[in-house]
Amino acid sequence: MTRLLELRGVSKSFGGLRAVDDLSFAVEEGHIVGLIGPNGAGKSTVFNLITGVYRPDAGQVLWRGREITGAAPHAVAALGIRRTFQTIRLFGEMTVFENVRAGIHLRARQRWWQGVLGLPAQRREEERLAAETRAVLARLGLADVADKPATGLPYGLQRRVELARTLVAGPALIILDEPAAGLNEAESAALNETIFGIRDQGITVLLVEHDMNVVMNVTDHIVVINFGRKIAEGNAGAIRADPAVVEAYLGRAGDEEAAP
Amino acid sequence: MGTFIQQLINGLTVGGVYALIALGYTMVYGVLRLINFAHGDLCILGAFIGLTVLTGGLGGGHPGAALLALAFIAAIIAIAIAGVLLEIIAYRPLRRADRLAAVVSALGASMLIENGIMLIWGPDVHVFPPDLLPKTSWRVAGAAISFTQLMIILISCALMAALYGFVNHTRFGTAIRAAAIDQDAARLMGINVNRVIGSVFVIGPALGAVGGLFIGVYYREAYFTMGWTYGLSAFIAAILGGIGNIPGAMLGGVLLGLFNAFAAGYVSSSWQDAITFLLLIAILILRPTGLLGERVAEKV
Amino acid sequence: MSATRMGLAGGLAWLLCLAIPALAGSAWVAIFATFAIYAITALSEDIILGRAGIYDMGHAVYLGIGAYATAILNTAFGWPILATIPAAILAAALAGGLLSAPLIRLRGDYLLVATIGFNAIFILVMQNDPGGITGGSDGIAGIDVPALFGWQLASQNALFWLDWGVLGLALLLMRNLDRCEFGRALRYIKQDQLAAATLGVDTRRVKTLAFALGAGLAGLAGSLFAVQLSSVSPSSFVFTESVTLFAIVIVGGPGSIPGVLLGAALMFVVPEIFRDFAQYRYFVFGIAMIAVMVLRPQGLWPRRRAA
Repeated sequence: MTRLLELRGVSKSFGGLRAVDDLSFAVEEGHIVGLIGPNGAGKSTVFNLITGVYRPDAGQVLWRGREITGAAPHAVAALGIRRTFQTIRLFGEMTVFENVRAGIHLRARQRWWQGVLGLPAQRREEERLAAETRAVLARLGLADVADKPATGLPYGLQRRVELARTLVAGPALIILDEPAAGLNEAESAALNETIFGIRDQGITVLLVEHDMNVVMNVTDHIVVINFGRKIAEGNAGAIRADPAVVEAYLGRAGDEEAAP
Repeated sequence: MGTFIQQLINGLTVGGVYALIALGYTMVYGVLRLINFAHGDLCILGAFIGLTVLTGGLGGGHPGAALLALAFIAAIIAIAIAGVLLEIIAYRPLRRADRLAAVVSALGASMLIENGIMLIWGPDVHVFPPDLLPKTSWRVAGAAISFTQLMIILISCALMAALYGFVNHTRFGTAIRAAAIDQDAARLMGINVNRVIGSVFVIGPALGAVGGLFIGVYYREAYFTMGWTYGLSAFIAAILGGIGNIPGAMLGGVLLGLFNAFAAGYVSSSWQDAITFLLLIAILILRPTGLLGERVAEKV
Repeated sequence: MSATRMGLAGGLAWLLCLAIPALAGSAWVAIFATFAIYAITALSEDIILGRAGIYDMGHAVYLGIGAYATAILNTAFGWPILATIPAAILAAALAGGLLSAPLIRLRGDYLLVATIGFNAIFILVMQNDPGGITGGSDGIAGIDVPALFGWQLASQNALFWLDWGVLGLALLLMRNLDRCEFGRALRYIKQDQLAAATLGVDTRRVKTLAFALGAGLAGLAGSLFAVQLSSVSPSSFVFTESVTLFAIVIVGGPGSIPGVLLGAALMFVVPEIFRDFAQYRYFVFGIAMIAVMVLRPQGLWPRRRAA
């Protein structure tokens, strides 16, 4: 097993608040890794630190053993890391097809002036990338809604569009920020299958999720954080039995489900 | 030393006027996140209305303090009404629309008012009556301060102090500050946001009308494109102090007035404006939130 | 109507317009030649404002740089007009790229104000006549007519066809922009910069390119502008012109080619029909800008959206 992604002692503060505190963990290639923790534990901040939205105050982020700490978001994307957002961020003025097509951006080899001049090689590439986009849409069952405005779709479908947008890039690692949020039970169950399907394509998955059903059933490895610090790490069985985790969760289980 | 004090006096006079006008920009930006491009034109419309009262009154008799006061009151009332109408017609329908639509509406309102002035009063420069104010001036440390300058500085300071007190020490002032930080939260707290926005379009233009008329009285002239020239300076002052920040607009106005006055002593006047704009761009790039920081919450 | 049929209709309309000199009097030929120049400029503003969503309110600067480049190179250095055109494009594109570098980090309104500032500085510099090359407030007169293989494009009709030929090229360029990765990246950035970046769009680079491309196209229009008037002066590139270009894009429909052309026609052709009421022009514009935004905030002819 190789370490695809590794965080070493990463910290980030906002104002006086330590959102992430000396956090270290690794994501093995081919695994599905879950990052869990109570609300406000700093999970989304961790994602933002990995994907270059925030720059860590301290510590290192490594990709295949090479340091990428503080790389810009587009540079992180170029490594083959794709993410979804907790609050879905689809392009509101675009169709489902156009949204998913956006995910293929880095695989376009055309230069800007070739596009502006409309040269034949560029036109051929356009057709090829459009066909690949349609193939991904078909695979995720989105072919029927391809020409609909993306943000007009039901929530579950929007999540799937966002997922399709990451998959079309052919990434090495997909980071899912609460993929089950807002899904009904049937959709949530289907999501498990989708995540396994992604892993079976050879894509590593790192996910933040509140839905314990999803987390416990799909992950190979779980990292638990609270107040920005890692409090436990291991497989689903070990995490379930870990007293620190039980305390962090059960002590405040009541407010956990209702939160966004 | 004498010239230094003189430039200080000149700078404070112009700075006070800038500050009065800048407050209108900053208050509207605070609650609506909108650059009210029409504000400078409203202020100059105030100058024209005041001028009309003055010249009309002059025909009837001797100019006096009462006539001047009447001119100011007429300008304040007319421009406050115009400000409210502007908000209702051009901005309120666009509150939920794309920001650019409101920007273009504001630009349209600016064109409308500026050219409205031109159509009513003509394209020529209007000269203010010469004997409006006493010609008295006092000598201060080798410099002269005229009656007009003293009046502008004192009234500007008094108005700003009153506004500062109103915004910081009354319930309604607190509502204005709350709406500037987060409109939705303010609404949930029971604040009538529409009233707050309406009030900002009364207070800002009213202060601006005084500023506009001060410009007319001080430079003794008014012309229809003046709103653009002085409006932009006042707007730069608002940014200098941190847009949306009320004390910032006051500080920014005074600093810009002083900056202009002192720059005039060392740089040829044809390059002076260019330096003001370079200052603006430098501030935007180096410290976009202004000297005192913007009081505008941004949603992430 | 599908995009292809729309394009065909547009191409046909363009061909028909080429016949204007044969059908209309010389006054109309001049008006439509001017329209072509401003339409190119408005399209170039659309690249920056309408597509990339960058609040550029100083676009007249790039029109001015192109016009002054042609004027100076032709009158002071004796370059033939056609040779000045690439220089005009390059100078404007370079200015756009360089000015944008510090600006694109700024948030919407601040960028808008900074571009207003650059416009004001540009005018002041031109008026102050640095090194005696810009002619101060009077500007530069006596610009040559273009010559092609010894054939002088002296007649008004010849200039009309030159302007409309370039407009045709600009329209092709805008159409291609809709169909290429670079053009799409602009729209991603406009709608959600963070999402675009996480998809791999180098937002800084793409925005700088948009600025340079938009400025370069405006520089080309500026060159034509100088030739059309045979003179340039600062008053043609003042802030009001930038506001007009900004308004054309937003009133017409950002990112919509027919919308921007319609906007340009409303601002530059319609006033010619009502010449007797010239003094009301900007007064009416002001009312129209408010009315259109209140009634149709998405613009008169918005970009085609998904079904």
